[in-house]
Amino acid sequence: MRRPLLYTLLGLACLVTVLPLLYMVSLSLQTEAETLAADAVLWPDAPQWGNYAELFARAPFGDFIVNSLVVAGCITLAHLLFDPLVGYVFAKFRFPLRNTLFVALLATLMVPFFVRMIPLYVLMANLGWLDTYQGLITPFLMDAFGIFLMRQFIQPIPDDLISAARIDGASELRIYRSVILPQTRPALAVLGLFTFVFQWNEFLWPLVATSTPEMRTIPVGLTLFNQEYFTLWHLTAAGSVILFVPTAVLFVLTQRYFVRGIALTGLK
Amino acid sequence: MFRPRTLQGRYARTAYLFLLPAILFFAAFFYLPIGNVVATGFRTGPMADQWAGLDNYGQALSDPAVRHSFLVTAGFAVMVVAGSIVIGLALAMAIDQPLRGRVLFRVLLLVPYLTSVAIVGLLWRNILDPELGVLNRVLGAMGLPGQTWLNTAPLLTIAAVTLWQSVGYTMVLFLAGLQGIPETYHEAAKIDGADAWRRFWRITLPLLAPTTLFVSVMAVISGLQAFGQAYIITGGGPGDATDLSVFHIFNVAFRTRDFGYSSAQSVLLLIVIVAFTLVQLRAGRRGEVTY
Repeated sequence: MRRPLLYTLLGLACLVTVLPLLYMVSLSLQTEAETLAADAVLWPDAPQWGNYAELFARAPFGDFIVNSLVVAGCITLAHLLFDPLVGYVFAKFRFPLRNTLFVALLATLMVPFFVRMIPLYVLMANLGWLDTYQGLITPFLMDAFGIFLMRQFIQPIPDDLISAARIDGASELRIYRSVILPQTRPALAVLGLFTFVFQWNEFLWPLVATSTPEMRTIPVGLTLFNQEYFTLWHLTAAGSVILFVPTAVLFVLTQRYFVRGIALTGLK
Repeated sequence: MFRPRTLQGRYARTAYLFLLPAILFFAAFFYLPIGNVVATGFRTGPMADQWAGLDNYGQALSDPAVRHSFLVTAGFAVMVVAGSIVIGLALAMAIDQPLRGRVLFRVLLLVPYLTSVAIVGLLWRNILDPELGVLNRVLGAMGLPGQTWLNTAPLLTIAAVTLWQSVGYTMVLFLAGLQGIPETYHEAAKIDGADAWRRFWRITLPLLAPTTLFVSVMAVISGLQAFGQAYIITGGGPGDATDLSVFHIFNVAFRTRDFGYSSAQSVLLLIVIVAFTLVQLRAGRRGEVTY
């Protein structure tokens, strides 16, 4: 295809992806009257930075942010702690039932979250964990995808390195920490990044598992705020910007890892 | 604690020690819930404690609302799969050319992938609003008639919004696939006089089959379990035109509070998803290539 045509095509596609997000920023700076005008306002006459303060006054948005950070942060830490350890065991150890356990692990990849939603809700209700951090966090502490990714990454590390460390008398935990873990850093970066972004954006479980506004994460808090104040689009947009900015900053800083990470998910 | 005598026994012990947290986690938060959802599907009553046998399953299979939501979800998934493949591949092929600013294009196309479904839903509900949405203003300025797509083509519209978010991801997958095809194949075909169109159908597409398969499996799985689009944008409407299955199950579970009936529907949808995945993977195995 000809170059100018390609540039036009890609440029248009980028406009489609980016303009709505810019409009979201514009909306967050408009007055209420501007958001409700029959002729939609493209950019406000005078940016209303006060909208952001008003949002915090109308809803416990500070709580939403803290909750999202705690939940996504804890889940990400748990993945970084457990996924490489379990991946290491499946990559480098021989033990009874290894294949059975590995298949049982991979089978969970085919179980979408909605299947676990109702029983987890009942479980959390019985434990008294609804509307708590542990209720929001525990269902996502590990997943087969992260473990599989780490196993694939650890498998090519030479067995001799491990044997040598064993002969030198290193404990098994020491071998994992000093020999294996340092070599997995690029994979850990991808794993941490993806886990954080997905959990930061997670919607269904926090919607099901929380009941008081103070326990909501940003996506849920924002959506229910919009249901309550469905005409206050400038405030909903301000909340959306707050929800979006951390992931956007993370992405710009690490986009190479990100793209590589996606390509990795396509590998078998 | 017992001490294994052989070296192998010692390694096995270490392995299980390291695996212990994972075994407990997957037992408690995957296998136990899966067992429970199946068990609850056989029960009825507000506490889901009365045995109902196959009643819930039988009712689900003959319930027009359930059948309708399955059809809606299937239609939605088909649209998302088709769009993912066609648009994702087109973008990947465009960006695979030696262009200036490729990295920037890639970044900008991938940006919506980072947004929560909450943003996607709320933002597009506002943009698409026939009264105050910005889209109608832009269309009007270009001399085009205003739209009410969420009324006239609701399912297609939320599928398009879903693609807006996800197609950058598909593009990156296809890009990786394209870059894995050895250049020599194209060069050989060029020397033999094959034009770009023929090379696309005879080389690119067949050699890309594993990627296309992966993309379609992922799109089917995510399309069949879409929830936020219905919950946030359409509320399942107008009428029940966008009553996606997971949204339907959510309502039966948490609004009607019928855990037995909603669990049975979850199990049925799970069976459909697993069956689809296995069929696709089996069909794909025949088309696999090695270089």
